[in-house]
Amino acid sequence: MKDLAIGVSGINAVDNPGPGIGVARSLKEDASLNARIIGLAYDAMEPGLYMDWVVDRSFIMPYPSGDGGAYFERLAYIRDQHGLDLLIPNLDAELPLYIKRAGELKDMGVGTFLPSMEQFKLRGKDKLIEVAERMDIKLPKTKVCTSLDQLIAAVDELGLPVMVKGSFYKAYAAYTSTQAVSHFHALVAEWGYPVIVQSIVVGEELNVIGLGDGEGGSLGLVGIKKISVTSLGKIWTGVTIKHRAMMEAANRFIRELKWRGPFELECIVKGDDVYLIEINPRFPAWVYFATGVGVNLPARLVRAALGVDQPPAPDYDAGKLFVRYSYELVTDMVKFQQAVTRGEVG
Amino acid sequence: MNRLSQLALSDEGFVFDPQTGDSFQVSETGIAVLRALKEGRSDEDIAQQLVAHFDVALEEARRDCTDFRSQLKNFGLA
Repeated sequence: MKDLAIGVSGINAVDNPGPGIGVARSLKEDASLNARIIGLAYDAMEPGLYMDWVVDRSFIMPYPSGDGGAYFERLAYIRDQHGLDLLIPNLDAELPLYIKRAGELKDMGVGTFLPSMEQFKLRGKDKLIEVAERMDIKLPKTKVCTSLDQLIAAVDELGLPVMVKGSFYKAYAAYTSTQAVSHFHALVAEWGYPVIVQSIVVGEELNVIGLGDGEGGSLGLVGIKKISVTSLGKIWTGVTIKHRAMMEAANRFIRELKWRGPFELECIVKGDDVYLIEINPRFPAWVYFATGVGVNLPARLVRAALGVDQPPAPDYDAGKLFVRYSYELVTDMVKFQQAVTRGEVG
Repeated sequence: MNRLSQLALSDEGFVFDPQTGDSFQVSETGIAVLRALKEGRSDEDIAQQLVAHFDVALEEARRDCTDFRSQLKNFGLA
């Protein structure tokens, strides 16, 4: 396979890490891809800019806001100067723009492997009721609120405690009505309407990472349990599992929605009952866990995007342990200077 | 396949449930009982085995088997 220039965002390997470094590392470990990783960063302090054994060349990007004109101009520059065969966006805020302009990227000669806008909207927190029905999976009692009156009515109906969730990010537990109202105002101020109110289900928090081929087929699934998390709720240690009901629900998600691209399902499991909590339409930051147990989903995504035939997804063993760790690197200040003044490193 | 038969059990008594990711530690006696339960043996059979291998009376071994099984039930494993 010829040298492949693959753009990867989310290279902020910090205490709340983006998935980019895990994706890049997975691609590098599949030697037959011959991947040259182009890191896309938003800040000169993103560690991935300096991790030259994983990311070959990095660029500071404008934020993907508005119509994305400046963002796409930057992508065109990267393609012209260094080549860009494929892009794997890994941050939630980038996805609407990438999905909206995927056709344009294709015309530029840059491949992607993303869900459609319809699929992307369906996995939104305000649409989970419909998706859970189609997946034949339980959902904690959920109310979608677009006013304070609706929130108060929802809390009355569901009973305390409840989870109060923003439409895109953040979720808070509320143990009193006053707390629920306070969270509601904070979420509306930051993320707008609607706000989602959900009953709290107590059980095991289990997750699945997967990749759908867009035609109802799975390109790979790995189930995990987070054994310990950081104060920000991010996985620190985990173990692979095979929860039959959860894996079946993940397969139904791919089949029913004809999901195209990577995803993560966050579930709460009580015995054989699986409750859907959230669907993330991208790789999670722990994507390398799947690669480490033999299911290299980023590499499989690249082959799917290029239309290359590949064997069915390999199986994995339950009981494999994931341990995240801290590490440091020391490099020359010139690299930081390049990031700040030229907006590129490498 | 029931949950019990799926449990991974090491010689050191470390038990891993591949469905949920939960892990447990059991004693030497626990290892013997769990192995026998995974083989589908009856409580009476297991109690006899405990008497043969450990310094324990049959009545006590029967009680231990019953207790052990009820603990497994509490964990949703039996």
